[in-house]
Amino acid sequence: MKSTYLQDLAFSLGAIGGSVKDAEREGLLRSSADDLAAAGFDRHHRCPPDETAYDLARAAVTGLDVADGVDAIIYSTCLPGNGSVGDPAAFAADRDVKHLMEFPASRLQADFGLGSAVVFGLSQQGCTGMLGALRLADALLARESGWSRVLCVAADRFPADAVYEQSYNLISDGAAACVVSAAPPGLRLVAAHQITNGGLHAATDDESVGTFFSYVPRLVRDCLSRAGLTIGDIDWVVPQNTNHNAWQILARLLGVDPSKVWQKSLPETAHAISADNIINLKSLRNAGRIRPGERILLVMAGHGLNWQAVVLEATEGLA
Amino acid sequence: MTRRVLVTGADGYLGLRTVQRLLAETDDRLVLSVRAADRTELADKKSRLERETGTTAHRRVEVVPADLTEDAPLAGVATDLACIVHAAARTNFDIGRDTARRVNADATARVAEFAAACPRLDRFLFLSTLVSVGCRTGDIAETVTEGDVEHANHYEWSKEQAERRLAERFAHLPWSIARLSTIVADDDTGRVTQYNAFHNTLKMLFYGLLSLMPGLPDTPLYLATAEFTARGIVRLTRPETVGGVYHLAPSPDEAVPLGDVMNTVFDIFERDPAFVRRRLLRPEFCDLGTFAFMVDATRGLGASPAAGALRSVAPFSEQMFRPKRFDNSRLRASWPDAPAASGLPLVAATCATLVGTRWGRNPAPNGVTPDAVPQ
Repeated sequence: MKSTYLQDLAFSLGAIGGSVKDAEREGLLRSSADDLAAAGFDRHHRCPPDETAYDLARAAVTGLDVADGVDAIIYSTCLPGNGSVGDPAAFAADRDVKHLMEFPASRLQADFGLGSAVVFGLSQQGCTGMLGALRLADALLARESGWSRVLCVAADRFPADAVYEQSYNLISDGAAACVVSAAPPGLRLVAAHQITNGGLHAATDDESVGTFFSYVPRLVRDCLSRAGLTIGDIDWVVPQNTNHNAWQILARLLGVDPSKVWQKSLPETAHAISADNIINLKSLRNAGRIRPGERILLVMAGHGLNWQAVVLEATEGLA
Repeated sequence: MTRRVLVTGADGYLGLRTVQRLLAETDDRLVLSVRAADRTELADKKSRLERETGTTAHRRVEVVPADLTEDAPLAGVATDLACIVHAAARTNFDIGRDTARRVNADATARVAEFAAACPRLDRFLFLSTLVSVGCRTGDIAETVTEGDVEHANHYEWSKEQAERRLAERFAHLPWSIARLSTIVADDDTGRVTQYNAFHNTLKMLFYGLLSLMPGLPDTPLYLATAEFTARGIVRLTRPETVGGVYHLAPSPDEAVPLGDVMNTVFDIFERDPAFVRRRLLRPEFCDLGTFAFMVDATRGLGASPAAGALRSVAPFSEQMFRPKRFDNSRLRASWPDAPAASGLPLVAATCATLVGTRWGRNPAPNGVTPDAVPQ
């Protein structure tokens, strides 16, 4: 089986930063600011009216070295509406659906001169889209013998007037990007696993919370089983930026040392939708905490309901 | 000679069933005390009791208002009683300490004081709970608890306080204490007309709001029907039955392990197409510290149903880690023909009713409606 490696990590956030108190004052929350602060949230980021999800994606990719090109772009969005850069007003004017099919992955290809790349879109995996992109990239690189690099992007912003809270978590507009390469160095993708429960496709916030503590342990155990590992083989857990207590509880359930759960960006970044894992992974790497041979578990729960996990292993020469 | 029997809390779930049993199985004349804020409420309760006890019962029944939290609440009741069944209580696990003391402990002492003024009294039966013994584990004898005991909640504590007061301050009374098990259904058909923490916990599991179960899978649960319990209460009111503490509950070998209960419950849930479609997983068992952390952490979720679900389970969660073997040999000796407990089949029947009626929202096939809406 051909190995693949996660290289280069980048992200961007909405240009308007504000405190959780600001969000409360602006009517962006359902919970109180105090409750969200108790959950670990301090600040979040929103796009100004003229900043799109695509702008966030472009900003994130700008942070990567893709000058040598990539073979594919996998573009993931949590909100399906962020999967188009077309103009609904233009559609309303002439009723031509082409205006609804202006795909951000194609635009990204053009903007960055990635002419040899083909594009894929993921829009049905909620917040787990980036991990789905990694898994798809791994599969594509294994299948396509001539390919060496896949660019994975996840970008979302909430619509104007949206509540910036989901399932009792403070939301940020944000994007993340990374390259999955067929050659080291990087973080070798050891295993990936996904569970989709369509029976909960319209889950309420409380159903999402309620099922979190039963599905995530199963997800993790199944993922580790696929990798031939146990939880004791995992050196770091890099989860999404949801209520910091949730992973304190999961750590107890799974037998993980809570100090190994790296969620450092939570207070400042909030839940940047699909970008969380990359943001936290970059934080862990920049902190110089990853040693060659260490294994990292990325975990994400999302609407749909979807749960995805990826196990990575650090190689020598990790950038 | 016909006995006069006072039943406090006679309009409550178990009080009413006890009254029905006494009327059916004895010639006793009954004084039923009920709490009523005014004449209108009293009239309503009288009407309900007449309806529930049958049209011919009124000649044997007298309904009196009594607020047992006030001084001399039974002053208007003639003292020629042979027996008092003190069933009035607040039984919710999340009751506050002050209320629990006032309603469950202090009121029991008031009724006992009244009992002391009844010269013909041959039995004062106090309805308590198995968990009055608190967080003790292992073999539990049918005796009054001695020494310091920790309790999981104020309800348990208040019942233990009431037991102690009876034993210490009213030793001269012919008292008996019936420690009751968790009542999950009216009878072995699984019919449910009053909901409690057992039913509410299953509801949270069914709707996916609770995915962690605090407890040890092997912890035995002592589950019974109201029918079994009311029959046992009547037995304990008989003058030939000796006094003392009774575990009015299934025998230890009839108790059902928590893990088996959960499996039975989910076996029933998984027959429901809507539940199957949602693919909710069976709950993981977690340790008490994790559960307590989770309950604390969800306080920030405000009025969320998920947080509410956890809070509803929290007051009795500690008991799920405290396995006990309740000896009931005194009960069996006094009630040799007591029916065997139904165990898991009762759990299955009850769960089927709950799922079929969606916890009382839909009518049951037999048209029964619940007494109370689940908390």
